[in-house]
Amino acid sequence: MRKKSILFVLPAFVIYTFLMIIPIIGAFYLSLTDWNGISQAYHVVGIKNYIDMLSDARLRNAIMVTLKITLTVSISVNVLGLFVACLLNRAGKMINALRSIFFLPYVISTVAISFIWLSILSYTGVLNTILNALGMGSVIADYIGNAQNAIRSICVIEIWRTLGFHMVLYLASIQTVPEELYEACTMDGGTGWQKFRFVTLPMIVPGITISVIMSIMTEMKQYDVVKVITNGGPGYSTETVTYNIVTQAFGNNMLGYSSAIAVFLFAIIAVITIIQLRVSRKMEV
Amino acid sequence: MANVVNKKEEKKNLPLKILLVLLACFFALPLYITIINVFKPTKVISSSPISLPFPPIMDNITSVLNDPNVNVFEMYKNSIMITLFGATGCIIVSSLAAYYIARMKTKLSGFLYVYFLFGLMVPYVIVYVPLVTMFNKLHLTGNLPSLIMVFVSGSISFSVFMYQGFIGGISRELEEAAIIDGASSLTIFVKIIMPLVKPCTTTVAIFIGLSMWNDFLTPLLIGQVKTITVGIYTAIGPYASDWGTVFAYVLLATLPVTIAYIFAQKQFIAGLTAGAIKG
Repeated sequence: MRKKSILFVLPAFVIYTFLMIIPIIGAFYLSLTDWNGISQAYHVVGIKNYIDMLSDARLRNAIMVTLKITLTVSISVNVLGLFVACLLNRAGKMINALRSIFFLPYVISTVAISFIWLSILSYTGVLNTILNALGMGSVIADYIGNAQNAIRSICVIEIWRTLGFHMVLYLASIQTVPEELYEACTMDGGTGWQKFRFVTLPMIVPGITISVIMSIMTEMKQYDVVKVITNGGPGYSTETVTYNIVTQAFGNNMLGYSSAIAVFLFAIIAVITIIQLRVSRKMEV
Repeated sequence: MANVVNKKEEKKNLPLKILLVLLACFFALPLYITIINVFKPTKVISSSPISLPFPPIMDNITSVLNDPNVNVFEMYKNSIMITLFGATGCIIVSSLAAYYIARMKTKLSGFLYVYFLFGLMVPYVIVYVPLVTMFNKLHLTGNLPSLIMVFVSGSISFSVFMYQGFIGGISRELEEAAIIDGASSLTIFVKIIMPLVKPCTTTVAIFIGLSMWNDFLTPLLIGQVKTITVGIYTAIGPYASDWGTVFAYVLLATLPVTIAYIFAQKQFIAGLTAGAIKG
């Protein structure tokens, strides 16, 4: 390559700088102001927004909801994903067809998926109708109406949506385990469980790490499902951090304050990404 | 002998296979519910939600397509334009940039690599307020080409990262031969590099194309363009309890992606997981 080839970088550099880097710097700056998005005038208030965040009960709730969803979904999706992957690994010719079925929800838009589940989980929806028809009217519940149930429903939807993805990650990991190790284990009289515990599990640690980080990252940014299923309600009890940022900014015109929350989320995501990059670099070796 | 063992294995696995099929059927229930209920009137959906649609009716779909307030074709057009031009544009600018970064071992190229990678750690929600402000000031709200540029910018980090890794793994011998033959950098890039990185292009195209097609917040907030995803959200609003209509919209929004997926399952699965692991 020659020196003048720097022109190769120019289009990407210009687009990325104007529409990504400058807005990010803008968000950092806005987070130090009290701008409401409407008036021309605004004041630089320093770290006031960040101090306000400490006493913001609504934000604290959004953080708790996000953590609940992240924890529940990451654990479930990784345990179930690994379990189904182990079963699938022994399914012979059926692997491909089954894999495709489990993976399908991952390619469909989250908004569409949320509407499907809304029709199932709402009070007059599919699930309650079936329960009624089966004479189990006593277990009918409002899966969306109160905060606790709604958060559980959101978790179920996210588990269903991302299970296939994590299962495929695990399946790929499991298939890299050399057959000889299992044979050696059999020679030593190892049972099926021991094979899993002492051969499969230690061999797929990098795969587990990636899969867990991926699920954490996805759920930390959760927005779409909450928007369709509960709209953050009742009240603001099911708001996630991203949902909170968007509503504070575009619903309540607190552009400065919402930017401060976004910067806070950025700091957390950045730390997780650095861990992720470290881990995937190790994997390549 | 080996055959006998295999047959034994097969038999032993039969209960496992049955379990897996049952599991897959249970897992696919929400999809089954969507497909059958599109062809039933809402009254029937409410009373018997999992029965097969006999006789199947098309009313839900036709009423959605004929709704004067909702222009499904306009939504499709917007989504297709964004996905097609957004992904193509991003692939062109990112592969060019990645080629320079992968081949020039200078301080500048090292800096550019980190600069482009930075976008991977950013939760995209951070840029919405500044971008919406920018769009309002420049009167670009609702402008499709500018929205496409936003989509391009959002996928540059990932694409540069993928192409840089892939191009870095290609031996330079072909390029060196071409340089001796007097080929320009651009000719080498188009004629030699791009054909060699086709697998990477497939991965990137599927990964960023799908994320653009399915994106909800970006077209909703920036530019307020009705893509199919934003479109069904706003269209369903007034009909949220009219399940026939809801299912019709869901089908319209998911059909193109599902068809593409059926024809290219392997590429989709490989593209999305490879992309996720590396990005």
